[in-house]
Amino acid sequence: MKLINLIISLCCLLNGTFVSATDWQSNPSKSRLNFAPSYEGMPINGRFTMFSVTYTTDAKDQPTHLSVKVSIASADMDNSEINEAIGAADWFNIIDFPEAQFISDQFVLDASGQFLAQGSLRLKGHNKSVIVPFRWETLPEGQASMVGELTLARNDFFIGDGEWASGEQIGIIVKVWFNVVFSRAESSQ
Amino acid sequence: MGIGNTADQWGLLSKILHWLTALLIFIQIPLGFYAESLKLSALKMDIFIWHKSVGMLVFLLLILRLLWRIKSTIPKAPCVSQIQQRLGQLTHGLLYGLMVLLPISGWITSSAANIPIKLFWLIPLPALVRPDDALKSLAAEVHEICVLVLLITLLVHIGAALRHHLLLRDDVLKRMWF
Repeated sequence: MKLINLIISLCCLLNGTFVSATDWQSNPSKSRLNFAPSYEGMPINGRFTMFSVTYTTDAKDQPTHLSVKVSIASADMDNSEINEAIGAADWFNIIDFPEAQFISDQFVLDASGQFLAQGSLRLKGHNKSVIVPFRWETLPEGQASMVGELTLARNDFFIGDGEWASGEQIGIIVKVWFNVVFSRAESSQ
Repeated sequence: MGIGNTADQWGLLSKILHWLTALLIFIQIPLGFYAESLKLSALKMDIFIWHKSVGMLVFLLLILRLLWRIKSTIPKAPCVSQIQQRLGQLTHGLLYGLMVLLPISGWITSSAANIPIKLFWLIPLPALVRPDDALKSLAAEVHEICVLVLLITLLVHIGAALRHHLLLRDDVLKRMWF
């Protein structure tokens, strides 16, 4: 019996030590990444239609890694003239900086039950330390959702240079919010 | 001169509303053409705020004029042929109709273009429709056609007023003056 108990204990120990981490991959058709700058104090909603998020959790469902890649050229503000204008050098400069990236390996669970991902956001060639708050919820059929909201200061990344830099017409603060649906990608050891 | 209209004369309120509207329309049309000619810039956005603000002011004045027109006497029509009377009614009807269509089509264009409106940098207006590029193009086209019709109608209106004053030498223009 002692031997059986030892084997069971070893199995539990091994299970605890080498239990698989879980990788999650965003589902593009079900995920939304929105942003809203303000014009004369009133929000103008837009969205990025092409982005990819990978997320890794450990055995206790705690986050260990978050990586977000956003195609800046996919920014859509429901106005073809504005879409063209924000791609220019004064704004996103999509020719030189077609992609934005956020990477985090540091996570804190706050009192309200949301995670705070501390990481680096690279946008228009500039890096800035950013905290992204989100709620993580596992869903049926190997899916999960990540919902959150934050604000960014566009001048931290020199988005809206020249005559737009003062923030008088187009505000400095941009609201960003997301609802990303994930599928369990694979398990790794 | 009384504030109200009589059978022979427009009253002070009607005259003020008429000439204030005329002044605003003559500011409004070049403002619109100028704003449209500019590339997207801070100046263009400011000129458009003026254009939208003045346009909505014209619309507000129109509502006051229509309410006043319903409530008060209308001076009798000048002694001209029936065709000319009909033409006069058509011109006035068109001017009133355009003063409704122009601000509404402009408002729809702005809402469909996902650009919020704040009149005189103070008064926000709600969006009339959801953002929609196709609807924006359609509403902008309606707005442009209305401007062309307005320019032609104004020419007819001003031409007729001058004809009454200079050729027919009647009091049609005088009774709208102070």
